[in-house]
Amino acid sequence: MLNNKNIYKPLRAKLTKVIEESPLIKTFVLVPEKEFSFKTGQFIELSVDGVGEAPFTPSSSPLISDKLEVTVMKTGYVTEYMHNLAPGALMGIRGPYGRGYPVEKFFGKEVLILGGGCGFAPIRSLLYNLIAISDKLRKVTLCYGSKTPEDCIYKPYINELRQTPKFEVLRSVDKAEGNWNERVGVVTILLDDVKVDIENSVAVVCGPPVMMKFGTKKLLEMGYPEHDIYLSMEKNMSCGLGKCGHCMMGEFFVCKDGPVFTYDEIKDQPDIWN
Amino acid sequence: MHYLIIDKDNWEESLEKLLESHSVFASVENEFGQDYELIRAQDIPSIIYNKPKPATPLKNFFLPVKENVTSDRINEKPRIILGVPNCDIEALSLLDEIYLDTQFNDILYRNRRENTLIISSDCFGIQDHCHCMSYNIKPWSSAKADLAVLGIDGKIILRIISRKGEEFSTLITSAQPLDDDNIISLIEKEHHSTESKLAATNKGLPDYQTTGRLVSDAGDEIWKKFSSSCVSCGACTTICPTCTCFLLIDKPGFEKVKQVDACQYPGFERVAGGEDALFKLHNRFRNRYMCKYVWKPEKFKSIACTGCGRCIEACIGKINKNEIFMELVK
Repeated sequence: MLNNKNIYKPLRAKLTKVIEESPLIKTFVLVPEKEFSFKTGQFIELSVDGVGEAPFTPSSSPLISDKLEVTVMKTGYVTEYMHNLAPGALMGIRGPYGRGYPVEKFFGKEVLILGGGCGFAPIRSLLYNLIAISDKLRKVTLCYGSKTPEDCIYKPYINELRQTPKFEVLRSVDKAEGNWNERVGVVTILLDDVKVDIENSVAVVCGPPVMMKFGTKKLLEMGYPEHDIYLSMEKNMSCGLGKCGHCMMGEFFVCKDGPVFTYDEIKDQPDIWN
Repeated sequence: MHYLIIDKDNWEESLEKLLESHSVFASVENEFGQDYELIRAQDIPSIIYNKPKPATPLKNFFLPVKENVTSDRINEKPRIILGVPNCDIEALSLLDEIYLDTQFNDILYRNRRENTLIISSDCFGIQDHCHCMSYNIKPWSSAKADLAVLGIDGKIILRIISRKGEEFSTLITSAQPLDDDNIISLIEKEHHSTESKLAATNKGLPDYQTTGRLVSDAGDEIWKKFSSSCVSCGACTTICPTCTCFLLIDKPGFEKVKQVDACQYPGFERVAGGEDALFKLHNRFRNRYMCKYVWKPEKFKSIACTGCGRCIEACIGKINKNEIFMELVK
């Protein structure tokens, strides 16, 4: 049975708060005009009225439906406009779209998460979800890398997470400044410090393409099976509906078949890291 | 499937009556060639039957080049599109799979589909680059159109295909069941003649599945060579009956305008961070072939190239995909 909803029309959402996470990254707290639910790892198309829209995976808990947080790095035309918005502005939301993280498959396992830069946004949403089901998990380790200490986002949240039983946080920066006392180097060096029972573990990777590429390589070297590495792919998801063609990655529409894929699903597709 | 027959004058009279309640588009010949036009009473005698093929594909009736997709407007008058070749009707199957998808059906597309009666016309004869038969598509419709109209010996023959076509035939009051075996034989003879011409012209051209394998196996050097005269104009995708990629443009009031886009244009896959899997010309060029012959067949049931040959006619770089396939098959 086909429904009569206009798939292109966005839902209005009021911007209630803007949190400065780093010089280039802000979190936008949005209250949609009606309840909005999503599964962790799914994405939305967020629009600035009359300017444009872009795909983002919400960084807030998927268990909350009256409020939504979206963390945005200033990188292009639309995100620059977003960074200039002040509380009170109306934004547009379409979605949620795609296939998120299959958290039920993580039950009884250790979860090793590798994140970089603004790739922490979808991961934070996943972490909220994992905390809620932590009794079903063995352990969660977050390895997070950023360029400098100043670029590390969600600092208060990291502190909270470090106090949470079963959760461990390791961080690195490419270049240390000030009183940084954690690791220095690319994020994959953190994997050398991780003690993990690979046979009872899954890995999640989210970050810039180059980090995803080398992160996946390292996880494979560590012995992770290809089907236990979950990647959140970044492509030009324009319509979110599996129609416009911009995010085609071989036979997959990243917007509809992803954005979360296991490495074995997509390893043979062309240009997955571009 | 059955046939009706009607005198051409009576048919044209019936069509004129239909103009009061329907928007009728039909294939006519003008100074630029053969194409669909909105028919007025005085245009009815110029309608072309049985001749391949309108310059523009059928998709444009259902997916306009540019439109505001946030408005809920529905076409006022029901539409009739007359003289659609079977290659375009087959192409509609893929569009239906994409736009009538149960999870995200496009209501504008759906309204137009429901509001439109498609009348096919058998191809008696072929054009230079027609090659539907290479992909197992007949040059005449027996299943996916609502009905077919043929002009033979001053008579009009209606082949009723769907229930919608059956209902339509009741509006053509003077149409009678066709029981003249000579006319049926004549139609079959024309079918065989067109099929023979297609087979002779496209001898050796690989079938759809083989083409997929050839395209998949071709390396970078081959794509660099074949794309050397491509100027990324997107004419091939614009004219293709199955290419429907688009761009959404934001307008004030959270309105969205959907506009035709093409993987052949630079920047089609570029993300804000700068990564662009289709940055290089030969990658964009290859993308279109992979999409049509390898990826779409993996994802959808319907065929993504129906052998209409329009992309060959439209290419300003004089790229002939069939020549590429013939070279690959060597």
